[in-house]
Amino acid sequence: MRDAVDYISRHRVAAVVLFLIAFPWLMPYEALAINILIFGLFAVGFNLLFGYTGMLSFGHAAFLGSGSYFAGMAVVHGSWPWYAAIAAGTLGATAIGLLMGLLAIRARGIYFSMVTLALAQCVYYIFYQADRWTGGENGLRGVKVSAIKLFGVELNFVDPLTKYYIVLAFVALALWFVSRVLASPFGAVIETVRENERRSAACGYDVARTKLVVFVLSAAICGLAGTLRALHLSVVPIDSLHYLTSGHAVMMCLLGGMGTFFGPFVGAAVFLYLEDVVTTWTKHWMLVVGTVFIVFVLFFPRGIWGSILHWVRRGDA
Amino acid sequence: MGEITLNLLLLQTIAGVALGAIFVLLAIGLSLIFGMLGVVNFAHGAFFMLGAYAGVYFYGLTGNFWFSLLLVPLTVGAVGLAVERVLVRPLYGRGLDYPLLLTFGLSYVLVEAIRIQFGVEGYQMGTPAALRGAVDIGIGHFPTYRLFLIGATAAIVLALWLFIEKTRFGLIIRAGAQDPEIVRILGIDIGRVWLLVFALGIAIAGLSGILAAPTRAVTPEMGIPVLVESFVVTVVGGMGSLAGAVVAGLLVGIVYSLTSLFAPEMAEMSIFVLMALVLLVRPQGLFGRTGVFG
Amino acid sequence: MRYGKFLALSEVSVAFARNTLTAIIGPNGAGKTTFFNVISGALRPSYGRVIFDGRDITGSPQHAFARMGIAKSFQITNVFPQLSTHENVRVAVQMRRARFDILTPRDSLTELTDKADQLLATVGLADARRRPAADLAHGQQRCLEIALALACEPKLLLLDEPTAGMSPEETVAMMDLIVTLAGERTVILVEHKMKLVMGICQRVIVLHHGELLAEGSPEEVRANAEVKRVYLGQGV
Repeated sequence: MRDAVDYISRHRVAAVVLFLIAFPWLMPYEALAINILIFGLFAVGFNLLFGYTGMLSFGHAAFLGSGSYFAGMAVVHGSWPWYAAIAAGTLGATAIGLLMGLLAIRARGIYFSMVTLALAQCVYYIFYQADRWTGGENGLRGVKVSAIKLFGVELNFVDPLTKYYIVLAFVALALWFVSRVLASPFGAVIETVRENERRSAACGYDVARTKLVVFVLSAAICGLAGTLRALHLSVVPIDSLHYLTSGHAVMMCLLGGMGTFFGPFVGAAVFLYLEDVVTTWTKHWMLVVGTVFIVFVLFFPRGIWGSILHWVRRGDA
Repeated sequence: MGEITLNLLLLQTIAGVALGAIFVLLAIGLSLIFGMLGVVNFAHGAFFMLGAYAGVYFYGLTGNFWFSLLLVPLTVGAVGLAVERVLVRPLYGRGLDYPLLLTFGLSYVLVEAIRIQFGVEGYQMGTPAALRGAVDIGIGHFPTYRLFLIGATAAIVLALWLFIEKTRFGLIIRAGAQDPEIVRILGIDIGRVWLLVFALGIAIAGLSGILAAPTRAVTPEMGIPVLVESFVVTVVGGMGSLAGAVVAGLLVGIVYSLTSLFAPEMAEMSIFVLMALVLLVRPQGLFGRTGVFG
Repeated sequence: MRYGKFLALSEVSVAFARNTLTAIIGPNGAGKTTFFNVISGALRPSYGRVIFDGRDITGSPQHAFARMGIAKSFQITNVFPQLSTHENVRVAVQMRRARFDILTPRDSLTELTDKADQLLATVGLADARRRPAADLAHGQQRCLEIALALACEPKLLLLDEPTAGMSPEETVAMMDLIVTLAGERTVILVEHKMKLVMGICQRVIVLHHGELLAEGSPEEVRANAEVKRVYLGQGV
């Protein structure tokens, strides 16, 4: 059993992508599956910062949201083609990540969480006020991409299943990138920052610079998720930038398993599926999710996937 | 825009002080809880909201504002007692993030619980009769209630300062924030101290809620922007310092108020700009240091 | 090689010669830890300078010290708890050998793994390589501290009470290890157990109340009247 798990670990990107290829058939409808892909990527980006580096940000909505807005604005105001919009969104979110990161890194310890929350709220206000570009309170509408031309083949983006696989292509690419980073020497350094900053610095690592690099990488990945969301929904709701969306990332990551590769996806899937089911019985979803989250924090801090991995591996000497 | 006279500036500054008064109370509550227990209370805004709703409820029930002012911190503080005992206590020693995450989840529960109990529309709490109207303070007319806010906050801050500096329990709090081991060795139940300090911080949050209630719409979501503002104040002032909470709270309030005079669209942003400046120049906060409260 | 330095609280100016083993001793509260923190880069001195290999390094950031060849072990064990013992050392070795790299799989960098194994063997932790560092016994963790310090190939090794909390057998083993290491590099050792260091060090510096009380060879220091007075009743 353990050997199987180790084999899968070493080929984790392939394993996850294979699973995701089959995923739409496990879900009641494709739109939910697409949502899970997008928020799964969002949670993966967040996990890079929180689970692996140990930095708890409450402002990640700024990257999801700005990625959505920049991509959306490129399509709506600039009539840019879809691939340019995705690039614009990702780059825009990365730039915001750099600015936020430069300020947030200066806040040590507990202040970091507070500062990221505050800075993200600042980004929210900016986009809210710039309503000529962003649509303000009503969000940005009309992000319509109906056909995607790829190597001469025209793909119907409106068809949910086609859309799912196109989104999956990007998610797979991002996952490959994240996996490479985590397996690289730099990936080892970011874990030392989580484990013991003083020791990391004493060993010769520039902790502040490491944190900034991870922050920016995290922003880029969440920004990409945002661009995909804009294209998927055809609108960018102002809520994308709100504190509660940042909270989604935190919850999904903890529910799934921080510091594990597949955990964030599990968290996103469970969260969104549960939301889908619970909201058909009651509108008090926030009460349910808050309570579930509290239970996990108290009793299952490793999350679902993290607990499974721990249970499988616990015979290790 | 009209003419900006000195009088207008002064009035706006005093309005900023009134706004800042609420920030001061919130920051003190946050700081108490963090300084003593090391917990960043992400539910602080939710308890503020709880206090506002409790205020509406008791005021509606008794018709007496002063009585409600007394009841609210007691009831909200009682909720705080239960929360610390049952939810936060098991997480000590697991690292700074866990209690934070727990209070974050708690905020969801509290907000939704209020929605269930009181509906989503929200309430308007009228200003109590004795405090209605405006007073001529020499440079112009200023709302009586806001003057009351400033006075009430000053009284509360003074009472807290006396409590922490001059009483035995306050000494225990200061010692416990420095070194819990010593307090234990002296035979004092540190668990009880944590419980009471947490409840005190929450009670203050609740009290600031009812005090603020006449000045804004009482809705289940009112705590969210308040949470953000409290964090800004905390970053500006530094955690663990009463002086820091007071100065930063007033500063943020005044900055907001003056900005809304000159450039109203920028008012929300102005406090973030202030925070960014502090982060660049003095990242630990104006009065920031770790450990002792006071 | 010359180092010169002033302590924040009072004046201590000391120089350390290359490839010697020097001990800094003194009763608790003498300022040893402050001194250690200044020369290891954890504290910036209020006055005075720190000079290494002819270069003024006062105020350099902590991470620059290891890169310059100054490594330290902490008095309170500071390792990477959830990482395996092997990974602890491997990532420390990596600092020296691998440039900033976000795409190469680190498992392919076998020279790092080999070097880590060598270091583990040197400190006697080869058997524990796969266990999480948090699960090691206290004495083993102290050895891991040393391995982490050695990983950056230091010219100067700073050890802050390396035998703290160790059993007598472990202490002897640690002292033997230190003597071996001192042959190839400069070692400065902070200890408050005077007996331990007298037999092995070439030079001893005694601090008291933040001031330099005495310095010289172990015999000179042992014979020093002031030192005797300060340590009277402390079991020299």
